[in-house]
Amino acid sequence: MMFETLLFFAFSAVLVGAAFGVILARNPVYSALLLVLCFFNSAVIWLMLDAEFLGIVLVLVYVGAVMVLFLFVVMMLDVNLEELRKGLAGYWPIAAVVAGLMVFAILDVVVVKHLGGVSLGAAPPLPADYSNTRVLGEALFTRYAYPAQIAAVILLVASIAAIVLTLRHRPGVKPQNVGEQVRVSAKDRVRLVKMAPEKRP
Amino acid sequence: MLDQYLPILIFMGLAAVLGLALFTIGWFAGPRRPDAQKLSPYECGFEAFEDARMRFDVRYYLVAIIFVVFDLEIAFFFPWAVSLRETGTFGLLAMLVFALLLVVALVYDYRKGALEWD
Repeated sequence: MMFETLLFFAFSAVLVGAAFGVILARNPVYSALLLVLCFFNSAVIWLMLDAEFLGIVLVLVYVGAVMVLFLFVVMMLDVNLEELRKGLAGYWPIAAVVAGLMVFAILDVVVVKHLGGVSLGAAPPLPADYSNTRVLGEALFTRYAYPAQIAAVILLVASIAAIVLTLRHRPGVKPQNVGEQVRVSAKDRVRLVKMAPEKRP
Repeated sequence: MLDQYLPILIFMGLAAVLGLALFTIGWFAGPRRPDAQKLSPYECGFEAFEDARMRFDVRYYLVAIIFVVFDLEIAFFFPWAVSLRETGTFGLLAMLVFALLLVVALVYDYRKGALEWD
């Protein structure tokens, strides 16, 4: 138990450090890579909470797909970041309000409810054959079947929207059609013509 | 359950130690005599004329989005497959509708030519 607590603090420390790095890094590519580190550490913490499937999905979807997308977007935006940063410090009152609200919400959950008699305490021990994946699947395809369908519709809309926004066919390109190249035979290419020699030797 | 992950933890530790060790040895043991020429960006012998950061083609973004969509679909399939015995016919039908919606997305991608790289 002691060892697990130690591990939790180690991974949380890396997580918090990497999160600070995300907002402090000057180069947005470094920010994105530090966010990948954040996701890895959150995945480990979820694993330690017996949420194996969610941890793996976090790595599979966020690290494997979403962060690649982020990197593409960061690299696609051809903006001068020094220009953009000018005057950013002037927004500090708004930032202070948002940060204050978030600190308040976290304190409300962690401190007030804890002191108000609702002990967060340790979670009840899980049965030996507990499978996070199976429990999740049962919930997802019985009680939450309708939200799952909504998720599918959202994915469909995302896919269509991406195509409508970015797909441009460029006329005039001459791509190789490998199938046609393979199917070609010598008869289609070379025509042998029988003709009499023009000049007798 | 968690002790099954101990080898992975040990592996992570080894990887971190090895990576850091190689880096530190190189940092301390290697000679470092930088000058202006060595620190300048190297561009095959001629002057660098462009920023290293250049625009990506937007088509990479399209490929990434399509990948995210079907990656998420796969992520939904795993808990469904594991719990199919419990959810039964209803689960099967729910997944059928779910998958059909994404088949619509796939057909749309294919017919629009978004999967081609011309």
